[in-house]
Parts: sequence; structure tokens; C-alpha cells
Amino acid sequence: MPRQTSSLTKKSILLLTFLMISAVTCLGQSTTGTVNMSATVSKFVEINSGGAVTLTGNSGGGVTTDGVANSPLAVSINLGELGPGNTNNFVTAQVPLKLRSNAPYVLSMTATVTNSGTTASRIGAADVGFGLGTVSRSGIGVNTTGADTNATSGDPTLAANGSVNATTGRFEFTGVRSNLNAFSSATTALSGPIIMNAVPRSNANGLTVPAFFAVKPQFFENGTTTISVTFTVTAP
Amino acid sequence: MFKLTKGIVTTLAVSALLLMSAAATFAQTTGSVTMTATVSNFVELTSGGAVTLTGNSGGSVITDGTANSPLAVVVNLGEIGPSNTNSFVKLSVPLRLRSNVAYQLNMVSSVAGAGATAFSLKDTDVGFGLTPAARPANLAAGVDTNATPGDPTVGGSTDANGRWVFAGANSTLGAYAVSGAVLSGPRINQAVAANSATNLSLPAIFAIKPQFFDPAPAITITAQFTVVAL
Repeated sequence: MPRQTSSLTKKSILLLTFLMISAVTCLGQSTTGTVNMSATVSKFVEINSGGAVTLTGNSGGGVTTDGVANSPLAVSINLGELGPGNTNNFVTAQVPLKLRSNAPYVLSMTATVTNSGTTASRIGAADVGFGLGTVSRSGIGVNTTGADTNATSGDPTLAANGSVNATTGRFEFTGVRSNLNAFSSATTALSGPIIMNAVPRSNANGLTVPAFFAVKPQFFENGTTTISVTFTVTAP
Repeated sequence: MFKLTKGIVTTLAVSALLLMSAAATFAQTTGSVTMTATVSNFVELTSGGAVTLTGNSGGSVITDGTANSPLAVVVNLGEIGPSNTNSFVKLSVPLRLRSNVAYQLNMVSSVAGAGATAFSLKDTDVGFGLTPAARPANLAAGVDTNATPGDPTVGGSTDANGRWVFAGANSTLGAYAVSGAVLSGPRINQAVAANSATNLSLPAIFAIKPQFFDPAPAITITAQFTVVAL
């Protein structure tokens, strides 16, 4: 009797083992699988040249390094003669800018004017007029909702933006942020909402705006002048 | 007389016993064993091996696929905004299928954390497709039906708004917000051992065109495959 019981127990164990192996085999059949992906869209702001520079009213001088649309902005201009030998009303350089973003943007500018002169009659930052022109949001993929805020007074050569100082006789750009003296440190020139809709980067459209620089030829102290302007766009 | 009778009875009894023994010996010369068994429907999905991530900027494969192991891939696609200048961020995930019956491979997917404006990444911005090849000779004969247009980076164009559109039907995760068939076909394996390495391998391709999407720091895209027996 004990031997029969032992045999039965062994058979039971074997059967259970078989069933467990079968169960494990069935559970091992994989019928589902997952692919988990993560990604990021970072804030993107971009400034490029909007195209060729337009230089007018110059006497001598010329565009040394022109702007190329959709290329980094690295323009170099010789404004030529700015003394009374230049009889034009203004020497004006119009520099097209192109901005793109997937977030609200702020375009700021900082400028320096260095001059070899030593007197008060030398060309200074206040003698270089500046302003941003009409902002254009057009083309496929460009967001046309929302308004851009131009912190400048626009074209500095407009009559409303400058006049001869009745006391000193010196021409002055008087509009709000209408000359480079207002940009001795980084200062906002333009701001606005998202520029681009969800389109590929290869879409060449964007927000375009002309940056005007103007100098009124005057009896400045003779010498050489270097005007350096840096634009920076950020996504606050 | 009594002794004679007893001897006869004894002889008869011994004879009868011998006859019975002989009869019993003849009855044990045959036997039978009856067995029952079952072949159940078998369908299986596992990883077909390492994934391939291209066109990424800052992304990486976090959990790679391992051939013949359960599919549980985790990938960081990296930057998919305009600062990524590549044409596509593309992920190719090898799948491995086996079955002893006709099968259907389904997929369901989701996109989360991308934002909710018109310019946020949508499931329709995530291209998807399978590119199965003809079955090799070591598999059961038959043709697999691909419900997707194939590699999503082939074709496609911008729409009237300038947004990228993947070509064809079922070419994005937008088609799989609810579970839907992506591939189906007749039995895959011939009658081979369970440990046979023969299988139907094919890549599942996911692709995103970097665009001026709304900024989003943590987008999660999930695709779950399920294979069922038809």
C-alpha cells in the first residue's frame, strides 16, 4: 500500500509539472509590442537678411557686402561722404530683415558709433537716424494673426521724425527711438506673436521689415566714422 | 472406488486449469493506446532586432529592440522643431511575426504633450508605414497585405497652408487613433519546429518632418502593435 501511494504521488507531480510547463509556454507567446517615442519642439527664433541693401543719397561709398535673402545678416556698407560736400538731403541705407519663429519674439538692437573726431561736432550716435519700416507678414506658412509692435518711429527721414534744432542748427532725429543713441545698450526695436505656422524650415517665407539708417550730411568734424549695429532676436 | 473417483476429479480439475490458463494467455497478445492532442492558433509578435534612428538632433535610442524578444522599444526622437535641419527624423523598428494561421497585425497610437493649438504637433504629423518584402521560400506561400503606403518619407508634400502632408491613406498615426489593421496575410510559418528561426520580418517606419511646431518640451508618441489570428 505505501508503494502504491508513492507511485501515485510521483505521477501527480509529473502531471502537474507538465501542466505548468504548458502554461508557461502559452504565456510566453508574445502577441503585443510597444514603440514609445519622445520628442521635443524647442523655441525657435531666427533673423536673416531679407535681401539686397538699398543705399541712396550717398556721395562715394557703396555696398561692400550686400545682403543675400535667407542668409545670415552680415552687411557692410560704406556710406561715403557725410560732410557738407554731399549735397543730398540724407544718406540712407535700407537693410531688409527677415524674421522667423515658432514662438513670440523680440527683436532688439545695440549700436555703437566710433569716430576719429574729438569735438562736439563729430558724428555721434544721435546723428545716425534709425527706424524700422512697414512690417510684412505674407506668404504661405506665415502667421497673419496678431500684431507686431514697432518700438521705433519708422523711417527716420520722415519730416515728423527730425528737424533742425532751432538753437544749435544741428539736424536732430527727434522721434522715439529714432537714432542710435537710443540703442547704446540692447533695446527692443520690434516684438510680436509667433511668426510661422507649422511648416517645414524649408519654407522660405517669414516676416520682413526694412531697417532704415540715415545720416543728414552736415558740417561734422572731419574724420572717419564706424557705425556698428547688432540685431538679436529672442523668444522670451 | 472412492480413491478412483477422487483421482478422476483431480485430473479433470487440473486439465480445466490448464485450458483456462492457455485461453488467458491468448487474450493478452494485443493492446491499444489512444491519444488526443490540439494545435491551437498561434500568432506571435516580437522584436526583429535593433532599431535605426536617423535625422535626429539630440535624440537617441533608449531601449533598443532585441531580436526574438518582446517588442518594447523606447526612443527619444530629439528636436523636431525648425532647428533640426534634417529632412526627416526617421525611426525604423524591425518587427518579427510568426504564425500557424492567417494573421492580422493591428496598431493603435497616441500623441500627447504637444500642445493644443493649430500649430502643435498632431498625430497626423507623425508619418507611419510598413515595408514588407515578398515572403522568402522558407515561409508558407502567400502574399501579405500592407494597409499602409509604405515608407512615409517617400512622397508627401506641403498643403495649401505650407504644412507637410504625408502621402497616401493610413500614412500617419492619425489613422490609428483607434486600433486598425496595418498588415494581414495567410499563415506565416510552414510546419517547422517552434524553435525554428524562420519568421516574417519587416520594418515599421515612423517619421516626422521638422517644422515650426509650437514649442513643447515633452512630447510622447506611443504605438502599440497587436497580432491576432484570423
